[in-house]
Amino acid sequence: MLFRLENLSHQYSDGTLALDNVSLSFAKGERIAILGTNGSGKTTLLHHLNGILKPTAGKVYFEDKPLEYDSKSLLDLRRRVGFIFQDPNDQLFAPTVKQDVAFGPLNLGQPADQVKKLVDETLGLVGMAEYAEKPPHFLSLGQKKRVALAGVLAMQPEVLIMDEPTSNLDPRAASEILHLLLHLNTKYGLTLILATHDVDMVPLFAKKLFILSKGKLVTEGSPKELFSNADLIRDVNLRSPRITHLFEVLKKENNLPVDNQLPLTISEARKEILRLLNLEDAGKDRGEGESHERD
Amino acid sequence: MAHSELYAQIDRYAYINPFAKTSPVTKMLFALSALIISVSSPSPVVPIIVFAAATILLLRLAKIPVHFYLDMLAYPTVMLALSCIIIALFFGTGEPLTQIAFPWFTWTIFKSGIALSVATFLRVEGALSCLFFLVLTTSITDIFITLRRARVPKVLVEMALLIYRYIFVFIEVAEKMNTAQKLRLGHSGWMRRIRSLALLSGNLFIRTLEQGERTLTAMNARGYDGNIRVLEDQPPAKKTALAGIIIFDIVLVLAAYLTLNVGVL
Ligand SMILES: Nc1ncnc2c1ncn2[C@@H]1O[C@H](COP(=O)(O)OP(=O)(O)OP(=O)(O)O)[C@@H](O)[C@H]1O
Ligand SMILES: [Mg+2]
Repeated sequence: MLFRLENLSHQYSDGTLALDNVSLSFAKGERIAILGTNGSGKTTLLHHLNGILKPTAGKVYFEDKPLEYDSKSLLDLRRRVGFIFQDPNDQLFAPTVKQDVAFGPLNLGQPADQVKKLVDETLGLVGMAEYAEKPPHFLSLGQKKRVALAGVLAMQPEVLIMDEPTSNLDPRAASEILHLLLHLNTKYGLTLILATHDVDMVPLFAKKLFILSKGKLVTEGSPKELFSNADLIRDVNLRSPRITHLFEVLKKENNLPVDNQLPLTISEARKEILRLLNLEDAGKDRGEGESHERD
Repeated sequence: MAHSELYAQIDRYAYINPFAKTSPVTKMLFALSALIISVSSPSPVVPIIVFAAATILLLRLAKIPVHFYLDMLAYPTVMLALSCIIIALFFGTGEPLTQIAFPWFTWTIFKSGIALSVATFLRVEGALSCLFFLVLTTSITDIFITLRRARVPKVLVEMALLIYRYIFVFIEVAEKMNTAQKLRLGHSGWMRRIRSLALLSGNLFIRTLEQGERTLTAMNARGYDGNIRVLEDQPPAKKTALAGIIIFDIVLVLAAYLTLNVGVL
């Protein structure tokens, strides 16, 4: 297992028990989403994964070795585990976009000309190349988020942890970032862990889902399994993806013979509708247009 | 123009002006040497030359709009003028210019006081024009890199770098909180305005501390080890430009000597 949390608890100094006996694990190359309402402990959990916070009880294992918290070990860990913060203003400290993206690779001891190349590449990757010389305070929040992402990608981590990566992004930018992340995952095997309460985005992204509520791990499983359990989702004050909800209503209120496995995404919904209309073949004729009909 | 807008605009020019890509060493050498000569010159002529040179460079070559430059000059000039009026009226010794008799004392305005006042005014304006030249043509990154190369202590440079960045974050936060207060009628009436301001300042202070902590965490997460490293890709200083600046400085010093006896009055 890449990461394993064992009976992890975290109590902040003011007494708030933000994580309560959480145990979970996941493997290399996975795409994980941590879902929960505001204050459920997502950020606190993520902060344990690269040693920003130390558990008050329990242990964190990275590649089956317990995390150590001396500065040398932390540096080694952080070289491999990148972290993108919820608020990009926390992260962007350098006077220009370029300098900010260069910060991580320079800390890794890479030579200047290589860093320059890396900076250009990663800024291109997140679509911010033309802003390289600008100071961060001239950027919009969504643009800052993309620069923050570039700053971490430039360090070429093996694991990428993101706290609300798509909040404050316009739909198009959110979708582009999502595609970029999926691409990095499939092409380079980058392990992705993100915290979110954007339930519509989760099925597009995650293979595995952990649901937190009030600091406790409520359940884990694939998005399909968890979202088909409507009661559970309601209990933790979340909701299903809109499209799933629509089919749930059609099934319950209109007695439409919808499959028990409710569709979670547009493309799944499309298949289901075609099936219901007995037009299954029609969809195949026109090919699968999944890539441009996501959210 | 709102204050924060003025700051942001200064910054914007620093990145886009025609001098942005010239060597920061050249620009800093010009600005700082002229500034030092200007403030230490005993003659009123030198600051005028410096002011004219910096202003012409800014307006003609760096293409800073006149109205913007005047806006920038206006704030400090008003403050300066007030101080200089005080100097003129209450300072000085020796030969009196005029005397006003009051029943209980005689108020003397001295020639030397007027001279001091005018000299101060000119020196400071000369120095201001140099500083404005620097901040309007040279980006903060360039200034930091140059300071570091000049072996200014690391703590100072890095602190300045972080302060610079977070000034803008805090202006943003303060403005947002201010607007939020206004929208909830926190500014209706004098007492309420004072109370709102107190709340805002208190909050801002706490936020500052928290922000510091979070920024450090975020820097640590990217392998910060106590050294802020930056990409250095400034063009090298041109020999001809450096020579030009040195000649200009020599001319200034000569001018200072030659005009030593030019009095204000
Ligand atoms: N520095 C802190 N000191 C004390 N309590 C804290 C601190 N940070 C978070 N908490 C508390 O811990 C709990 C979990 O917070 P956390 O930030 O992990 O939630 P979250 O799931 O990330 O929420 P959100 O979706 O709003 O980001 C909350 O009750 C919060 O008030
Ligand atoms: Mg959070």
